[in-house]
Amino acid sequence: MADSAAKLTPPPSPTASFYDLSDDEEGEYNTIMHSSSGRGVKLLFSKSKVYVHPTPSSKDNIPGFIALIQQKNPTADARPGTSSSGSSKADRATSYLLAWLPESSLGDAFDSYVKVELSDGSSPPKNTPLVPQPPTSTSHTTSIGTYAFAVPVSEIYSLLIRPPSLGWWFGSVVINTRAGNSFPALFFHDDECQSTILQKKKLVRESFDPFSEHGGAFWGGDEVLRWLKRYVVVEKSGADPSVYLIEPSAEDKLGFGGKTSTPSSPKLGSKIAGPMGIQGPSAASSSNRDAGMDPVTKALKQARWSFLEKMSQVTNFTRRTAQDIVENPKVPPQVRRLMVNPEVQTLQDEFDSARVYLARWAMGIAEQSERERSQRIYTAQDVLEMEDSDVGEFEILDMEANNLSLAEKRKPVSIKEWKSFFDPKTGRLQVTVDEVKERIFLGGLNPSDGVRKEAWLFLLGFYDWDSRADERRAIMNSKRDEFVRLKGAWWERMVDGSGNAEETEWWKEQKGRIEKDVHRTDRQIPLFEGEDIPHPDPDSPFAEVGTNVHLEQMKDMLLTYNEYNRDLGYVQGMSDLLAPIYAVEQDDAVAFWGFVGFMDRMERNFLRDQSGMRTQLLTLDHLVQLMDPTLYLHLQSADSTNFFFFFRMLLVWYKREFEWADVLRLWESLWTDYMSSNFHLFIALAILEKHRDVIMEHLKHFDEVLKYVNELSNIIDLPSTLIRAQTLFRRFQRTVEAVDKRNNFPIPTVRQRKPADKPSSPRPSNSGATSAVDGRRRPGSSAGIDAGEEAKGKTKEKVISPELRQLLSTKVEVLDKKATKEHGGVVAA
Amino acid sequence: MAGTRNYDFLIKLLLIGDSGVGKSCCLLRFSEDSFTPSFITTIGIDFKIRTIELDGKRVKLQIWDTAGQERFRTITTAYYRGAMGILLVYDVTDERSFNNIRTWFSNVEQHATEGVNKILIGNKCDWEEKRVVPVERGQQLADELGIPFMEVSAKSNINVEKAFYSLAADIKKRIIDTSKTDQPPAQGVNVSDQNNSISSMGGKCC
Repeated sequence: MADSAAKLTPPPSPTASFYDLSDDEEGEYNTIMHSSSGRGVKLLFSKSKVYVHPTPSSKDNIPGFIALIQQKNPTADARPGTSSSGSSKADRATSYLLAWLPESSLGDAFDSYVKVELSDGSSPPKNTPLVPQPPTSTSHTTSIGTYAFAVPVSEIYSLLIRPPSLGWWFGSVVINTRAGNSFPALFFHDDECQSTILQKKKLVRESFDPFSEHGGAFWGGDEVLRWLKRYVVVEKSGADPSVYLIEPSAEDKLGFGGKTSTPSSPKLGSKIAGPMGIQGPSAASSSNRDAGMDPVTKALKQARWSFLEKMSQVTNFTRRTAQDIVENPKVPPQVRRLMVNPEVQTLQDEFDSARVYLARWAMGIAEQSERERSQRIYTAQDVLEMEDSDVGEFEILDMEANNLSLAEKRKPVSIKEWKSFFDPKTGRLQVTVDEVKERIFLGGLNPSDGVRKEAWLFLLGFYDWDSRADERRAIMNSKRDEFVRLKGAWWERMVDGSGNAEETEWWKEQKGRIEKDVHRTDRQIPLFEGEDIPHPDPDSPFAEVGTNVHLEQMKDMLLTYNEYNRDLGYVQGMSDLLAPIYAVEQDDAVAFWGFVGFMDRMERNFLRDQSGMRTQLLTLDHLVQLMDPTLYLHLQSADSTNFFFFFRMLLVWYKREFEWADVLRLWESLWTDYMSSNFHLFIALAILEKHRDVIMEHLKHFDEVLKYVNELSNIIDLPSTLIRAQTLFRRFQRTVEAVDKRNNFPIPTVRQRKPADKPSSPRPSNSGATSAVDGRRRPGSSAGIDAGEEAKGKTKEKVISPELRQLLSTKVEVLDKKATKEHGGVVAA
Repeated sequence: MAGTRNYDFLIKLLLIGDSGVGKSCCLLRFSEDSFTPSFITTIGIDFKIRTIELDGKRVKLQIWDTAGQERFRTITTAYYRGAMGILLVYDVTDERSFNNIRTWFSNVEQHATEGVNKILIGNKCDWEEKRVVPVERGQQLADELGIPFMEVSAKSNINVEKAFYSLAADIKKRIIDTSKTDQPPAQGVNVSDQNNSISSMGGKCC
C-alpha cells in the first residue's frame, strides 16, 4: 500500500449494490476481492466503444468501456498521477484495477463513465466520480455473456498490444495475468469512440500531425498504456515489440531476452535511440523498424502478428533456450542436473547434441501447455483466430450462410456426409464444389469409413466434380481398359525382347530401380509388410527375401507410369507418392490413374534440370522474405536461404515428415487447392515459423539448419500446423493486398524511377529472382521484397514477385509434354 | 556459443554412388553401428556425425549422404565442393553400379575441390552368391583411378570402420599434418572450408 496517503471522502455511490448481483455467477473466478464497503471505487480513466468480439460475426460484438479504477483504499494517494516514477509504484499496483464492462451492465453509472471519458486532460479529473465496485477477477471464464472483468493491475503480467491497421483491423489489447491466463481481446473501435476522436483532433490541432510519437496512427490502446504508465512500470518486451510487461521482475526481463530498457520510458517511440541501441541485433532492428514507418509499412509489419507465437511468449513458460531451462523450476531435477554437468555443457557446443535437443524439447512442452490451455479456457489464441477471420467479410458471410461453426467444419467428412453432397438419383453434386472442398480442406476425410476411396478419385481428377453417376461408371470402365493396354505394352516388350538395345538397357535400369525402391517404401505399413510369396523373377536381388502381392502391384503401376510418361520416366520419390493412393484404393487400375492425376501437379519436381524444385525453393525464399524478414535475415546469415533443407518436404509433400495417417490427411487437404494450389508452401512456412525461435537462437550454419529441419521428421503436429498455415495464408493475402493498395497510391516523394521491365517479355518458369514485374506496377529492382527494406524512404520499390502472386491462385500448374521434354526427362545425360 | 570444442579437427566426407548400392546403410553402420534391410530411399541430402580418434586427436567426421539417382545430380554436385573426402560406392552384386563409378569419378573431378581424397568402396561383399564384380576388378579400377579401394559389407559389418578411418587418416595427413602453421588447425582450415562449401552451393543452385 502506498504510504503517501491522503484523505478520501467519497460520496456514497448511488449504485453501490449493482455488481453484488453478479458475484454469484462468477463462481469460477480464482479470487474475488471486495472493497470493504459498498461505497464504490474511483473511476480514474475510461474509454468507450471498446468491444469484445465473442464470435466472428460482427453482430455479436459487445460494446463496453475499458477503465482504470482505483479501489477504495483508505491509505491510497488521492492524486497518484502527480508522481510518475515513485519507488512505491509496485506496492500501489494492487489498488488499481483495469476493467472492461459492457455498456449494458453499467446502469446508472453509465453517465460517470462517459463523463470521465470526456474529461479532457492527461490526468484523472479532480473530482473523480465513484462507480460501483466491479467484480475483481484474475482469470477469465468461458461462460458466455459474462465478459465483464476487473483485474488488479498487480495481477497483470503483460499486455499484448496490436495497433490498428487503417481499414484492415481494429487495434486490440489482450491482458495476460501472472497466473498465465488470458482475457478476451478488447477491440478499440476508434472511429466510434468520442474520446479517441477528440484526442486525435487535438493532436492534429496542436502538432498538425495525426500520428503519435512512435509514428503509428494514434489509437485508443495508446491511451490505455498512458494511463497505466502513470501508476506502474510498463516495459516493452525486447523480444517481442507487441508485448508490454507490467511491473516486470528481473527474471521476466531475462526471460524476454535480457533487455535493459529504461523502465520509466514513457513513450512507445522512445526505442528509436538510447539504451536500445546497445541491445541484441534482433531487438534493435525490430524496434528501429517499429518507429518512423509509414502506415502501410506498419500494417505490413503487423500483418506478421503470429498469435501462436504470442501465446507462448506472454506466459511465463516460453520457448526457452537450454540456458533458461537450467534455471527453470519446471524442469525435472534430473534434467537440470544433467544440464549443469560439465560434460554435457561441452556437448552442448555441438548442434546435434543436448543444446538443440533440449530447445526443441522445451518447445514441445510449451506446445503441450498451449494445447491444454486452449482446451480449458477461452484464450487469446481463439480470439485472435476469430479476429483473423473477422477481417475477411467473405468468410463471415460464408460461415453464416452455411450455419456451421468453424469447429464443425474441422470435423472429418464422413461417408454419410459425403453421400449427402450428391443427388441420390443422378449422382450429381448438389452442393457447390467449393463447399465440398472447403469441408475436406478444413476437416479432412474420415480415415476409417471408406469415404476416402471415393472422394480421392474426385480430388485426384479421376472423376469430374460435375459428373453424373452413370458417367463415372463409364469413365471407370474406359480407364480400366486403358490401364490394361498400357501395362500390356511394356509387358509384351519385356517378354519378347523387342525394341532397340539402348531402349532395352534403359528399361532394365528403370525396372531395377523401381524394384529396389518399392522394396523400401512404407514397409512399416501392414499392407506392404509381408514377404509371403516367392519373387516372380529368380534373378531379382529380392528373390531370396520374397515379396507380397501389393509390392508387385506397386512395381507394375510404376512401370506402367514409366510407360505412360516416357518423357519423365520413373524418378525416386514417386514410389512415396503412389503408396498412399494405392493403400487407400487397393485397386491397381484406379490407383494408377489417381497417381497420374497427382503426378500432373508434381511432375515439375522431378525434371532433370530441377527447374521445378528451384522455382519452388525460390518461391519459398520470397515468401519468407515477405512474411518474416527477421527470420530471413537470420537464414541469410546462416547461408541457408537456398532453402535446400525443404527439398525433401517439397519433393514428396512431407511424406517423410509426418506419420502415415497424417500424410493422408494432409494430402487430401492439399489436393483441394481450396486456398491456394501451392498451399504446401504455407505448410513449409508454418513449420519454419513454429521453429523460428530455436532456429534464430541456436542455428548459425547451413548444416545446423539442415540437420535440425531434417530431424523434425515425425515430431510435427499436423492439426496445429494446418491451422497455422491457414492463418499464414490469410496474412499473406492481406499483405499482398496492402502492398497493392500502396502501389496504386503513389507516395508523393521524389523517387528515382527506373525503366520498367517490358511486361510482355517472356519469362521461363525458372528465371529466378530478377524477373519482370507486373506492368501496372511501379518498376522494381527485386522480385521479392527486400528483407532489409522495412523503413520507408529507400529507393527500391517493393513489389510482389510473380512467384508470390502465383500463390494466390487455386489453379494447378500442369506442365505440357513439351516442357517435360525440354527440361529433361529420360534422355541420358 | 563459443566454448571448448570436444574435437580437434572437423572433416567433411561425402558418399556418392548409384541408388541402392547401400550408401545410407554404410553410413548408418558407421555412425550408429546398426543395419536395417529395408531402408528408405534417401531424398535430398542429410548427414551424420561421428567423432573418432586418430593419432591421439579427436576428429569429428561430418558425413554427407546424397540421393543416388542420377536425376538429382544437379543438387548433389552442389555438395561436392566442401567435401575433403569422397567415398565412391558401388554394389558388388550390381554390375551397372560398378560401371557407373567412372561417371561418378569424373563428376568428382569436375565439381569437387582439387586434391580431394577419394576411396572406392564395393559394398555388399557378404553376398557371395550374387556377386558379379570380382574383387580384382574393383582393385583394378581403383588402381586405374589412383585411389584406395576396399570391399565392405554394411550388413555384416565388414570393413566399414576401416574404410572411414583410412579415408579420414589420409585427409588428416594431407590437410592437417602438412599444414606447417602452428596455429590451432581445427578452426582455420576446416570451418572456413565448410562455410565455403555452403555459400558456393547456394550460388550454384538457385
